[in-house]
Amino acid sequence: MSGTYDVVIIGGGMSGMMAAIALTDMGRKIAVVSRGDPVCCLSTGCIDVLANGNDPLEGIGSLPDNHPYHLVGKDAVKASLEMFKAVMSEEGGAYVGDAHANRRILTPLGRHKVTCLVPGTMEFADFHSDEYIHVISFNKMKDFYPNYITSNYKNAGCSIFDAGISTTIGIAERFENRQFLEGFISWLKGLDIPEGRIAIPAVLGMHFAVDVCNEISVELGRNVFEIPTLPPSMPGLRLFGALKNALLKRGVDLYWGKEIYSVEKSGSQIEAVTLAGAGRSARVQGNAFILATGSFVSGGLHASMDTARETVFDLPVYLPGKRKSWFNDDFFAPGHAIEKSGICVDQSFRPVDTEIDNLFVCGSILAFSEVMKYSCGHGIAIATGVAAANVCGEPV
Amino acid sequence: MEFDFQHCIRCTICVANCPVSRVNPEFPGPKQAGPDAERFRSDDETSIDKWIRLCNQCKRCEVACPYGVNPAEIILREQVRYGGKHFRPLASRVFANNYWLGAVSSVIAPVVNSLSPMKFIKRLLNVFGISTYLPFPRFHVHTLSRSWRWKGRRRSQKKVVFFYGCFLNYNRPDLGRNIRDFLASLGLRVIMPGQVCCGLPALGNGDIETARKFARKNARILAGYIDRGYDVIYSCTSCGLALTQDYPGILDVPDGKKVSENSYNLHEYVLKLMEEHYIEPVFESFHRKVAYHIPCHLRALGIGYPAAKLFEKIPGLETHILEDNCCGLSGSYGFKRSNEETAVKLGIIAGHAIKDVDPDMLVSDCGACRMQLAHFSGISAVDPSEILIKSLKRETQ
Repeated sequence: MSGTYDVVIIGGGMSGMMAAIALTDMGRKIAVVSRGDPVCCLSTGCIDVLANGNDPLEGIGSLPDNHPYHLVGKDAVKASLEMFKAVMSEEGGAYVGDAHANRRILTPLGRHKVTCLVPGTMEFADFHSDEYIHVISFNKMKDFYPNYITSNYKNAGCSIFDAGISTTIGIAERFENRQFLEGFISWLKGLDIPEGRIAIPAVLGMHFAVDVCNEISVELGRNVFEIPTLPPSMPGLRLFGALKNALLKRGVDLYWGKEIYSVEKSGSQIEAVTLAGAGRSARVQGNAFILATGSFVSGGLHASMDTARETVFDLPVYLPGKRKSWFNDDFFAPGHAIEKSGICVDQSFRPVDTEIDNLFVCGSILAFSEVMKYSCGHGIAIATGVAAANVCGEPV
Repeated sequence: MEFDFQHCIRCTICVANCPVSRVNPEFPGPKQAGPDAERFRSDDETSIDKWIRLCNQCKRCEVACPYGVNPAEIILREQVRYGGKHFRPLASRVFANNYWLGAVSSVIAPVVNSLSPMKFIKRLLNVFGISTYLPFPRFHVHTLSRSWRWKGRRRSQKKVVFFYGCFLNYNRPDLGRNIRDFLASLGLRVIMPGQVCCGLPALGNGDIETARKFARKNARILAGYIDRGYDVIYSCTSCGLALTQDYPGILDVPDGKKVSENSYNLHEYVLKLMEEHYIEPVFESFHRKVAYHIPCHLRALGIGYPAAKLFEKIPGLETHILEDNCCGLSGSYGFKRSNEETAVKLGIIAGHAIKDVDPDMLVSDCGACRMQLAHFSGISAVDPSEILIKSLKRETQ
């Protein structure tokens, strides 16, 4: 039938989108169903692979045996990250970094955070604390305090530019305008900033921030980089926008903004999902399904007092005991046990303890991924998304 | 429809998707205007949020929200509450009744068409708060409501009611008649019964009573046909949104749910017929590169992009989907002087995105989008059904 997709991907986040790209590149016809924009929109846009040690790929070896990275394998993780970088370059939002080397970015609190691949605009964010840093902010911009950042460094200064608008998106919108950018550059030139690096909150345009950032760098003869902001986070939005664009270019059908209302099964096969709507709503039919709905924050898992359930197929969820064992006493200590919860899968990313055999699971909904503890959120999403796609796209 | 602002975790994804707050700092965005402000609102107190009217009801926030909050609907309810308590400007009153405006204009179409481009008329309209940066659409005497209402074999297995909407009726009756004939050529019995405005313009202009009056009448007519085995087909995506979401939702009219469950987008219906093997059409090639601007309300319908799926089957057709921009006109929103600046800024942004594709033609399901974007991109705009009809011309069943 004309309406049956090879694979229907549920969840339009990092993992689902990367799976969709991998599958369309294998010639498959794909639909992505998402109940809204993903939480990667709120992220820094940086790809954390594994924060422990200098080489995230080597670090995989020291993870517990049940960590989903082991299902993918070091080489395949690397290949999936390369694939991600290639897609982002195609979409004009090139990423820099090497899967074998962690690097640091500057946070709006003035501290460094460890990550792996970063948007081109943050290439120079990893600096030595002796270097001079000049932080730029914008008049009345919310949740960004340049003095807070500079107070961490001996050698730092700041200046405030009046963009005529104070919201992150409003300022980013203006940076798309040639005249505004030129005005900003000539203002910067007039500041007489000492030799060193220039840090600007991540508002350098909606789509072509890398170009804007490079232009400012060249005009000023200084290394310029962006500092990710609190949401709305432009680097996260650009990341989502670029991947969504890559999906549209590949002819992926998007079903956005509606929750899944019912699932049709026949024996061990899932046949279709129907989306919730005011009246009769779209029915999306597929030969195989990928579940990439994320963990608690994204709504893939839903916790009640003493249990948690998987929200689309009601798959069995691994839980680390009763509620009292879910959390550490120290809130800020890494590794709350609840983070281990999720869906257990076999080598082929099929959920265990179910009869369904045309369903594959990827991303942070996987049990034992502990993305906060290991700082591996986007890395797990990309690696398992591509890996699940490779399994499910294989000719039967 | 679920209606719970308390699910909002203030993540700002809606703000990132709001076209109005992107260009107009006066509007605080869907998060503040919707769930945030809702906590402080009470039916016992008069609505005072004047800026609530700046929302253009594109519903992009609702499509984007990952937590099931419907900011646009919260805002819409407040717009209605505000409209009920405050003086509504003349322009709002006029556009709420655009059905009657169209009815009168079409009767005296030659007069209206020759008057509307005149400078002093434009100045007069400006005085009344109506903006004139866009040329007004042309009106036609031979409207759809005055056209032949039946087509197709009486004994056809499938029967459909065509809900054509005001734009096709008054401004593009030729296209409406083509769609009617096209549906008949697919082996359907097509009926275009007497019908009124879907009610969305009245609702968007804060006049829920008028909207409900229209909706009640349509629902009664359509439900009568549905009971006799007809499916409802709409081609205007905003009419479709009213039929499927607002009739059983905010307007809450009798038979609203029945209408909602039995209404189909035109292209969605064609796909359905193909899936059921009711038709097995042969698509003729059409060698063009088109930019397909997805109307905000097509996104809000949550049915995917059915016309784009049909386009994939047309040999030679290269489709570029553009779904990130609102055209800015938003029905009658941009025709109000108070919103003109916002509408123009958004039109320019969306126009640039189209020009970047460098297409042979521009496609969009929504008449308002087409008017606005043809103006700002300088590229002629067509409805997706025009391409489909062209490609399936020799289709016989």
